[in-house]
Amino acid sequence: MSKIGWKENRGVYTFLRPEERTKNKTRWKENVVAYTFLGPALLLLSMFLVIPSIMSVYYSFTDYYLLTPDMRKFVGLDNFINLFQDPIFLKSLVNTLEFVVWVIPLQIGAALGLALLLNKQRKANTFFKVAYFSPVVMSLVVISVLWLYLLNPNEGIINNVLTYFGISAQPFLTSPKQAIFTIVVVSAWQGAGFQMLIFLAGLQNIPGDVYEAAQLDGINKWQRFMYITLPLLKPTSIFIFITTLIGAFKLLVQPMVMTQGGPVNSTMTVVYYIYQTGFTDRMVGYASSIALLFGTIIGLVTITQRKLVKEDED
Amino acid sequence: MKKWLLVSISLLLMFAAVGCSKSESVNSDGKKTITMWVHISDENEEGKVYKKRVEAFNKKYAPDNIKAKIEFIPRSGNGGGYEDKVNAALTTSTLPDVITLDGPNTAAYAKSGVIAPLDEYVKDQEDLLPSIKQQGTYKDKLYAIGVSESSVGIYYNKRMLQEAGVDLNTLPTVDNPWTWDQFLALCKTLKDKYDKPAIDMQLQSKDEMLTYALTPFVWSADGDIISKDGKKAEGVFNKKPTVEALTFIQTMLKEGYTTRTPVKQAFETEKYPMKISGVWTVTDMKTNYQKVDYGVIPYPVSPKTKKLVSPSGSWQFAMTQTSENKEWAAKLVDWMTNKDSNVELSRTIAALPVRYSSEKVMAKEFSDQMNVFLKQLKETGHARPVTPAYPQVTRAFQQTIDDISFYDQNKDIQKVLDTHAKEMQSAIDKAN
Amino acid sequence: MRRKFGPLTILEYICLVLLAVLFIFPLFWMVASSMKPEAEIYNDMSNIKAFLPSFHPSDWFVSYKQVLLRFHLLGYIGNSLFYGLCVAVGSIIINGMAGYAFAKLNFSGKKVLFGLLLAILIVPFETILISQFTIIHSIGLVDTRLAVILPALAGAFNIYLFRNFFMAIPKEIIESAKLDGANTWQVFWRIMLPMSKPAVATVGTLAFIGSWNDYIWPLMVLTDKSKFPIQVAITAINSTDPVYTNQVMAVLTISTVPLIIIYIVAQRYILEGIGGSGTGIK
Repeated sequence: MSKIGWKENRGVYTFLRPEERTKNKTRWKENVVAYTFLGPALLLLSMFLVIPSIMSVYYSFTDYYLLTPDMRKFVGLDNFINLFQDPIFLKSLVNTLEFVVWVIPLQIGAALGLALLLNKQRKANTFFKVAYFSPVVMSLVVISVLWLYLLNPNEGIINNVLTYFGISAQPFLTSPKQAIFTIVVVSAWQGAGFQMLIFLAGLQNIPGDVYEAAQLDGINKWQRFMYITLPLLKPTSIFIFITTLIGAFKLLVQPMVMTQGGPVNSTMTVVYYIYQTGFTDRMVGYASSIALLFGTIIGLVTITQRKLVKEDED
Repeated sequence: MKKWLLVSISLLLMFAAVGCSKSESVNSDGKKTITMWVHISDENEEGKVYKKRVEAFNKKYAPDNIKAKIEFIPRSGNGGGYEDKVNAALTTSTLPDVITLDGPNTAAYAKSGVIAPLDEYVKDQEDLLPSIKQQGTYKDKLYAIGVSESSVGIYYNKRMLQEAGVDLNTLPTVDNPWTWDQFLALCKTLKDKYDKPAIDMQLQSKDEMLTYALTPFVWSADGDIISKDGKKAEGVFNKKPTVEALTFIQTMLKEGYTTRTPVKQAFETEKYPMKISGVWTVTDMKTNYQKVDYGVIPYPVSPKTKKLVSPSGSWQFAMTQTSENKEWAAKLVDWMTNKDSNVELSRTIAALPVRYSSEKVMAKEFSDQMNVFLKQLKETGHARPVTPAYPQVTRAFQQTIDDISFYDQNKDIQKVLDTHAKEMQSAIDKAN
Repeated sequence: MRRKFGPLTILEYICLVLLAVLFIFPLFWMVASSMKPEAEIYNDMSNIKAFLPSFHPSDWFVSYKQVLLRFHLLGYIGNSLFYGLCVAVGSIIINGMAGYAFAKLNFSGKKVLFGLLLAILIVPFETILISQFTIIHSIGLVDTRLAVILPALAGAFNIYLFRNFFMAIPKEIIESAKLDGANTWQVFWRIMLPMSKPAVATVGTLAFIGSWNDYIWPLMVLTDKSKFPIQVAITAINSTDPVYTNQVMAVLTISTVPLIIIYIVAQRYILEGIGGSGTGIK
C-alpha cells in the first residue's frame, strides 16, 4: 500500500501535486471503507479456506501419510507423475466430465422451469414451493433408500412401469454404462430445488413496473419472457451457471451413498477419489495433488466460461 | 427489523461467549485423569455399558488417585467422523490416552506409532480368543483388544424351508457343515419353489461387509488374501483356491440363487428364504420381526478341504503412544475388555464375547441361534488380513467380487484376480 | 389482472401437482415410515401403502417415543438451532458486507480478490478438513461453540450471490441517500439489505440448512457431548447395528421439520418484500 501523499513509481517515491493528492486521498478513503466492509469476510476466508488451501498445495508435493504427519517429506513432482499413470484417476476424470456435461443443462433447465412456474401469485404456491424444494433438505439416507428401491432392476417400480409399456427392463445403477446417467438424473432431481430458489429470488428482484411498462406496449407472454425476463435474469443465470458448474465438478455424495463408485469404477468421481485416497487410504499427499490438478482444471473451465459469457459489469 | 436483528445478534454472541468460557475443566481434586474416546454414543445400549464400566473402574481405583474419563464420539457408517477426529487429533498431538479403533486398522496404527504395545502391561493373554489376538497383533506384539466379537452366518426361514420340503433336522451344524455343492442343491430347491433368489448374500453392499462376509469362502478353499507375513498378495490371492471360491459365488449368481440387487430386508419380510448376515441381525429379528421363525446355519465349506472358516472382528480398545500414563491406560484397556465388561456387553446387545472365561458364561445364556455363532466363532473364527495397506486390500477384494458378479463379461476369473492382486501388491509395497 | 379458470389454468395445475408428487414423495414416505413398525415399512414397499402411516393409530408415535427415550433430542435440537441461527445471521451480515463492497465500492485489488473468491469456490472441502482443524486448534477454540460457527460464516458462494443482487440496485438510489447524509454503513444497512430481501432470505435459508446438516465438522471440533448438534444423534441412530428404520425415519422427520419451517418463513418474507414493493425500487 502506498504512503499518503507519495506515489510509488518503479520503486521511487515522488511527491505529488496538491490536486493529485486530494484525488489519492479519496481513493485511500474509499479503500479504507471498502476493506472495512470486506474485512470480516476476508479474515475468516483466509483463516479457514485460503491458508488451508495453501497448506494443501504444499502437501501435494510431499508424501504426507495421514497417520504420520511428522514424517512427511518433500517429494517434488512424484505425486503428479504417478497421477498421470493412475487409471482410476483418469477414469474418474472422464466420469466427472461426463456427469458435468449432462447434469448442467438438465438441472439448470429444470430449476428455471420450476421457478417460472412458481413465479406467480397463487393460492397453493407455498405448498408447491415446499414440494419442489424438499429433496434439497431431505436426508440422503431417505433419498438413497427410495431411489435404490425404485431403480432395482428386478423388482423396482420404474422397471415395472417400463415393462408394462413394452419397454425392456433396464439395469440402471448396476450397469457400468447406465450408472452415471442414473446418477445424473437423481442428482438433478435432488439439486434442482436449490437453483430454483435462487432463480426465484432473481425473478422476484425484477421490478414489477418493468413488466407494467411492457404491458402497455402490448407484447405477448413469450416476448415478455424473451425480451424482459431473460435479459434481466442474466446476472442470476450466470451466477447459477458458474456455481452449479463448480458444484457439479465436486460431485461426491450421490455416488458415495448409491453406488460406492461402482460398478467397475463407472461412477467414481474425482472428489470421491480424493476422499478415498486422502481419508480411506490415508495418502494425504497424493490426494492433495489430485485436488490441486483438479482445481486447476475447474479454474480453467470457469475462466473460459466467463470469457465466453461476458458479464455486464458497470 | 433492525432492532430485532441487533437484539438477536447480541444474544447469540453472548451465548457463544458463554459457550466458550466453559472449556477444559481442570482437575481440582489432584487426580490423574485417563481420557478415553469411544466411537459410539452414550445413548446407545453399548455406550451405556461402557459408561457403567468406567464408573466401576473409577470406584475401584479411587484410592490410587486415578480417574478415567470417557468421551463419546459417534461414528458414521464405516467409521467416518470418529476416525476423522482421531486423525485431526493426531496432527495436533491431542490424542487421549485410550482410543477405540476398527479391527483392520491395527496394523496401520501400530506401524505409524499411533498406538502402543500392551504386552508389558497386559499379562493374562491366554484367556483371549485366538481370533481376537490375531486381530490385535502386529509384528508379534499385542496392540489392541476387541470390544466384543462378531460373526456371520446364514439365517434361514424355517417355514419357507419346510414348505419347500426341506427336513430341518438334516441342516448342517458347526460340527458337520455342508459343502458348497450341498448348499447349491438347497438353493435349487428353494429357487424352484419360490421363483425368487434363495439367499441375499449382501452382494449389493460394496463396503467392508462384502469383505467380511465373503473372505471365509476363500479361506475355506485353503486360499488367502495376502500371505501370513503380510508382504505378498501376488501369488497368494490370485491362486487356484480363490478361483474355486469365486466360481462358487459366480455359480450362485448365474443360477439365480442369489442376486447382485437384493431387495432391502427381503429375508426379514419373508420374500427370500435365506440371508448371510452378522450376529446383530438377531436383535433386529427379535425387535422388529418377531413373527419370522428363523434359524442359523454355519458357512458351507469347500468340498475339497471340508474346512469350516468364519469371519470375525470388531472394534477394539488400544492405548496411544502419546499417553503419559501408559500403565493406567493399559489397565483401562484391560478393564474394558475383561470378563465382567465382556459379559455385561454380551448380555445387553447381541455381541459375542472375546474371552474363554466369558464365553463359558454366555454359552449358557445365549439363544440357540446365538450359540451357533458363538461355537462357529470359537472354533473357526478367522481375523481379516493384518496389513497397513488394509484399505486398499479390502477395496481390491470388493472390486474383485464386483467384477466377477458380471459373469458374462468376466468369464476368466483368473484374469480378474491377477489385476486386483497386482493392485493389492503395489499398495502393500508402498505401505511397508 | 382478472383471474381466469380456463383449460390452460387447469392444465397448469395438473402439471404443478404431478411435479409436486415427483419431488415430494420421499418426504411423505419418510413421515409415513416413521409412523409404522419396521416390518410394515418393508412389506409395504411395493405398493401405495408405503406412503400411508400404519392402519393402527396406536402405532403412530411408538418410534418417536422410542427415539425420544433413547436420545436427549431436545438438547441436540437446541444446539443445532443455536448454530443454525448464528450462522444464518452472521452469514447475512458478513457476506452481505463483502458482497456490497464488491458490487458498489471502488477499491484497489478488486479484480484480483474477486478472482480469488471464485477460486475459493472450487476448493473441495474434504481436502482441507484437517488443516482447518489445525487452525482451530492453534487459536485455542477446540471444544467451543465458536469453533462450529466461525468457519461457516464467510462463504464465497454467499458473497457472490449478494454481489449479484446488489449490482442490480440502481446507483441513483445510493447517491440520493448519500446526499441525504447517509454514510456507507447506513446505505448498506438501511437500503441495500432491505431492498434485497430475496437475497437475504435465500442466503439465510441456505446458511441455516448447511449448518443444520453438518455432521463431520462439529464432531471434529467438539468433544463435550452437551454441545453436539442433532446430526450427531442422527448418525448415532443410523449407524449402530441393528438399524431400526422406523426410528431413523422418526428422527429424520424431527430434524427435517425445522428446515421446512425456516424455508416457508423465508419464502413468506420474500413475498412480503415484493408485495410492499414501495421499498424504493423505482
